Amino acid sequence: MNRRPTAQAHGRTLLAAIRRRPLLQFALLAVALLVIAVLPHLGLMRFSTMSIYAYTAIYTVVALGMNILLGFSGLISLGTAGFIGAGALGMGVFLRMGLPFEAAAVVVLLISGSLGALIGLFSLKVESIYLAIATLFVGEILRQVYTSVPIFGGEFIRIGAVRLFGVFELNQIFQVERSILYAVIVGVLLLSMVLMHHLVRSRTGRALMAMSRSEHAAQAMGVSLLKYRLIAFVTATLYATAGGILYALYFQSAPTRAWTLNVSLLVIAMVVVGGFKSIVGTFLGAIIIYGLPNLLLKDLLGDISYVFSGALIILVILFYPRGFVYVGHDLRRIVSTLRTRARRAP
Amino acid sequence: MADILRILFNSMQTGSTYALAALGIALIWKTSRTTNFAQGSIGTLNAYVAGILLVSWGWNIWLVAAASMVTAFFTGILIDAFIIRPAARVSPISKQIITLGLIMVIVGLIPLLFGVDPYRLPSFIPGASVTVAGAALRYNTVFVVTISLALMGGLFWFIQKTRWGLAIRVTAISESTSRLMGVPTKTVTMISWASAAMMGTLAALIVAPQASVNPNMLLDVQVSAFFAGVLGGFSTFFGPVVGSFIIAFSRNFTAFYISDIWGNVIVYSLILVFLYFKPYGLFGKKSEKKV
Repeated sequence: MNRRPTAQAHGRTLLAAIRRRPLLQFALLAVALLVIAVLPHLGLMRFSTMSIYAYTAIYTVVALGMNILLGFSGLISLGTAGFIGAGALGMGVFLRMGLPFEAAAVVVLLISGSLGALIGLFSLKVESIYLAIATLFVGEILRQVYTSVPIFGGEFIRIGAVRLFGVFELNQIFQVERSILYAVIVGVLLLSMVLMHHLVRSRTGRALMAMSRSEHAAQAMGVSLLKYRLIAFVTATLYATAGGILYALYFQSAPTRAWTLNVSLLVIAMVVVGGFKSIVGTFLGAIIIYGLPNLLLKDLLGDISYVFSGALIILVILFYPRGFVYVGHDLRRIVSTLRTRARRAP
Repeated sequence: MADILRILFNSMQTGSTYALAALGIALIWKTSRTTNFAQGSIGTLNAYVAGILLVSWGWNIWLVAAASMVTAFFTGILIDAFIIRPAARVSPISKQIITLGLIMVIVGLIPLLFGVDPYRLPSFIPGASVTVAGAALRYNTVFVVTISLALMGGLFWFIQKTRWGLAIRVTAISESTSRLMGVPTKTVTMISWASAAMMGTLAALIVAPQASVNPNMLLDVQVSAFFAGVLGGFSTFFGPVVGSFIIAFSRNFTAFYISDIWGNVIVYSLILVFLYFKPYGLFGKKSEKKV
């Protein structure tokens, strides 16, 4: 009679502890994702399913960067696809030139980081819908370059086996090595979540949020618009490019025609649907927008899955305008009202 | 000379498709404060209606065009009533993403409703052309440009001279104040969505004969229309139209004299530089902001 309530109370305090410690949440998420790396080897899951999780993790990294823009700075970019492409295709080009993986990654990040800085400078002059479409210009220019410049190859660049730290040669074709690549991606995802957590809790994060509420008030408080616009756009492009690099790492070939406006819109949708300013919410958004349709709906519904995920986006936005991550909050409220009612009833 | 004229004639036709789409986007931006990414998809959906009427029922192109205009009108009204209006309190960015959801629904519905085969639509006036200073000018081009300009002219007249036009203009300035003053803003946004859908559909009908009716037929038009809106400035209604013709001409011009792909890259980069110095477009004004 006495034991159950205490166990329950114990469970509740554990949940509360997890809720209060975001870093623990990220770690638990990473562990859960790592378990997936093992499942296909035990015959519990198809390897293609693991690839969907890998893609979801990559999308999460990109969407985290987008959340810095949308959620924390009140800015928008429609050119994300171009920067993911820059990561994937840039890696292809530099690896074929014979650079080691890490050096190629640094070069690619530097190039697209400086492009991001240019957009940041641009954003000081141009605002709202004009800024959004200016970033779309950048995305379109990049897309045109990818599809037409010969060094990016025709349909896609084949990268082949990747040598990490000059020692570990990993090839996507072998199942064990694919699982290791997947684990690397989850590791980078965890790292980028932790980095972002610290970034937004720091002085920078507070400055970004002040800027998003009112530029003038922020400036009056001594927040330099130039500095923080640059930080916001550079961070977002770096995250997007990192996503592209992870893509090159896992799939080991990079398509040239895939980086259209729709990809950028999907990334924005992940932030909007998952939850502004929420890191776990961003992952949730990636799961809803990319994971769910590909994991479940395609098998269950077939052709109609695309319609369904579109409708899902519309419905979530209509009913959870702040993001799906707050669904837990609402559920708890419903449960607690039910409980008080139940207590009152007798 | 003949080359320049040929480019000019081509640009007039592509420019009017861009202008139709851009005007729809501007109308929706001004009345509903959302960037309509689905402008192209809505047009495509109704072009499919035209395609299936033409193929299965054997109607001629004029009849199917009229029919698809009617369905476009109702598509616009339905989208406004069931999706945009309930989202009135949603943040501006989320509202834009709603139109992305709309694209996915429409693009997903098209193969279910109309099958996977692309449809062919004929030109309004097939074949015949007249030669002007060595360049062929098709009667269809003349007709298409005339009807687009007439439609846009009619819209400008409507917006500037009529009572409902006044309602659209004041809703564009401030939706909440207009509502307080007794302007039926709900009807205004509904009319905007309906007319934007009709203009998108007309653009689709103009584009269709050059390729075919397929889900991605208006992708280029949609993106170019955004660019035209920014180039001309969203604060006036004629800005995006002028921007459309400038973009169409400069893209065709550079494509002919430089190269197809690099032409686009050059034009886009030039517009970006231009935008840096005039951030609100050619005819745009900075909107007053309260601190």
